[in-house]
Formats: sequence, C-alpha cells, structure tokens
Amino acid sequence: MARDLAIDLGTANTLVYMKGRGIVLNEPSVIALNRQTGEVLATGREAWQMIGRTPGYIVAVRPLRGGAITDFEITERMIRLLLQRVGVSRFTRPKVVICVPSAITEVERRAVTDAARRAGAADAQLIEQPMAAAIGADLPIDEPVGNMVIDVGGGTSETAVISLGGVVALEAVRVGSFDIDAAIQNYVRREHGIAIGERTAEEIKVAIGSADPVGDENEAEVRGRDLMSGLPKTVLLNPEEIRFAIDDVVSSIVASVVRCLAKAPPELAQDFLVRGMYLVGGGGLLRGLAQRIERETKVPVRMSPMPLEAVVLGAGHCIEHYDALKGMFMGARR
Amino acid sequence: MTIAVVIVICLVAVSAIAFLVIARRRPDDGVTSFRRHIDALSPEARREVIERVQNARESGKGK
Repeated sequence: MARDLAIDLGTANTLVYMKGRGIVLNEPSVIALNRQTGEVLATGREAWQMIGRTPGYIVAVRPLRGGAITDFEITERMIRLLLQRVGVSRFTRPKVVICVPSAITEVERRAVTDAARRAGAADAQLIEQPMAAAIGADLPIDEPVGNMVIDVGGGTSETAVISLGGVVALEAVRVGSFDIDAAIQNYVRREHGIAIGERTAEEIKVAIGSADPVGDENEAEVRGRDLMSGLPKTVLLNPEEIRFAIDDVVSSIVASVVRCLAKAPPELAQDFLVRGMYLVGGGGLLRGLAQRIERETKVPVRMSPMPLEAVVLGAGHCIEHYDALKGMFMGARR
Repeated sequence: MTIAVVIVICLVAVSAIAFLVIARRRPDDGVTSFRRHIDALSPEARREVIERVQNARESGKGK
C-alpha cells in the first residue's frame, strides 16, 4: 500500500512529505539529460552541481520557471524519478497533494496534475502555496483573525491574508530569488565587464546580498570571464552595489506586499499591526528583506521558524487530514 | 392492479423518506463539514506534523 504524498514542486527545490513519515526528500528541481539520446543522467543535487559545467551533449535544466512547467515532458520525468526514489512503483499509486503558485493558469494547473498522474499518482490535487505556507508556519488560521504570510520562492512571490481557514486577499508576482540572481549576473556583466554563471550569482547573493543595510557587511571576491579578453578575471564586489543591482526585484516584491495589505478588509488589517506578517520561502532568507518590508509597510515582519519547509509541511498536514481539508484544494473551490 | 398500487405506494414512501432525510441533513452538513475543516486546522491538529519534522531536523543536526 503506497503512502500518500505531499509535494512542494518549487522552481528552486522540490520537497516531498510522506504521510506518517515526514519530509523524505529535499532536492533542487534540476534534471540533467543527454541531449542526443534524451536519457536522464541525474536529478536533484547531483544535477544541480552540473549546471553551467557540462560538456556539449549534457544539458542540466530546471523544468519549472516562475512556478510553472516550462517543459512538460521533462517535468513528468523528474516527478516520476522523484516518486520512484520515495518508493512509488507501478503497483503502489499514492494520492498526491502538490503545492503550486496561486497565480498559475488553468492550463498550467492541468499540466501539473497530468504530469503527476502520468508519473504514478493515483490522484493529484493542488493547493495554493501561500495557504500551505500559512498552515506549515503554524499560524492560527483556524481563528477569525488576520494572518498574513509572504512566501518568496525561486520564481514567484506571493502574499496572502488568511482567516478562518480560507484566503481573504492574495497578491502574487512572478518574481523571486532567481530574478535576484539574474539581476546580479546582469550587473556584474554591465558594470565590471565579466560574465558569471547562475551558481556564482547565487553564491554572491548568499555571501553579501541584502535588501536593506545590515550590520557586519563584507566585500566579496568574484571570479568570472572577462568579456573583452575572454580570460579569467577577479573583481571585488561590495554589498552596496549588490543592493543597487537587486533593488528593482526587491521593490517589486515589496510593492506586491503593499498591494495585498491594501486589499485586506479593515477588520483584519488592524490584526497585522499586532500580530505582524510572516516571511517564508528560500527568498525570504535574503538578508534585510524582513527589515525592508517592515520599513516600507510599518507592519512588523517575523521569520517563520522553518521557512524552507513551511509549504511542504502545510501540504503534508493536508495529506494527513485529507478528508477534512479536501475543500481547500484548488479544483474543489472553483 | 393491486400489485401496481402497492409498488407505487412503496416508491412514494421511499421517495418521501429519502427527501426528508436529505432535507434534514442539508443544513447540518455545512456546519459539520466547516467545523471539521476548522478543527483540522487547529494548532493541536497540526502539532503532530510540525513536531515530526522538527524532531527529524534536530536529530539530523545532532549527527
């Protein structure tokens, strides 16, 4: 008998929660393929290490962008391999709850459920990421009070107001931490004349990236390829220029939070001043982001205790209480 | 003729009972399922899942 699963199919990472067991898989959403034969060579962490370092016949790709499937066939293969790794076979077909961005289209929703069913799921249901995040962040969403959650993922940032087990207001933008990495790559190319890869940009973000000035700031040495000479070159970057480089992306995330606050009914809006907003998702770990949102909205921002796992935890809770919570699934309400 | 009348009476009786059962249950169902939904989202109901993951995380750190 297959154990039912909850999957956080993120642009950056995929997490799988197994009913009665907990989180059984946490890997980057990357797949490496042989370009000539179409054969899968690696998935997850192993494939992630190959990004930007492969010979011509291998391609390491992220099949999801902005929380949506960009390559249906590759996504289906990735889900199939992930399910196999957690013990799903042709004879054991579990029920699956998948977290998806709230802003995905009907076509994208169908693509995700079809991919999961073809990959071996007996039934695939979808749940909105901010709702799952609020459940996983242990917010009192069963009470008639305003709970606000900001989920900054790899490809999307979503803010939701939740009360009495339902979404009251929602705002989503297809901007996330990958856009921050891309902004760093573009800045270094434009201002310093060197080309750096996706992974190097991510390392810069983790090392010295911030959304607002924070104490203890250091410079970072970055190696890349000189665009003029084609030779390897080292440059020194400081946190202030990285803040400048990523400001457009950060501003668009903050603006979506402001828009969500404006949509909230006044009775709930006053709760935020007391209870604050909760930040989840990998992008929420960007230094100074909570501080920046707090500064611009005048509402306290708190970090969830398990920001990376909150979404899959919420979906995991839905799989544990499937019958009681099936009304929360996306198809059930529309 | 008598059999047909008995069948019709039985069908009417069964339909009436079914209608009454559905009519009586309907207002109650919304309340019950909403209560079940809210109860399933209570911090007590969620504790098990959160503690399971927290414990796994802490034991992972200890290694």
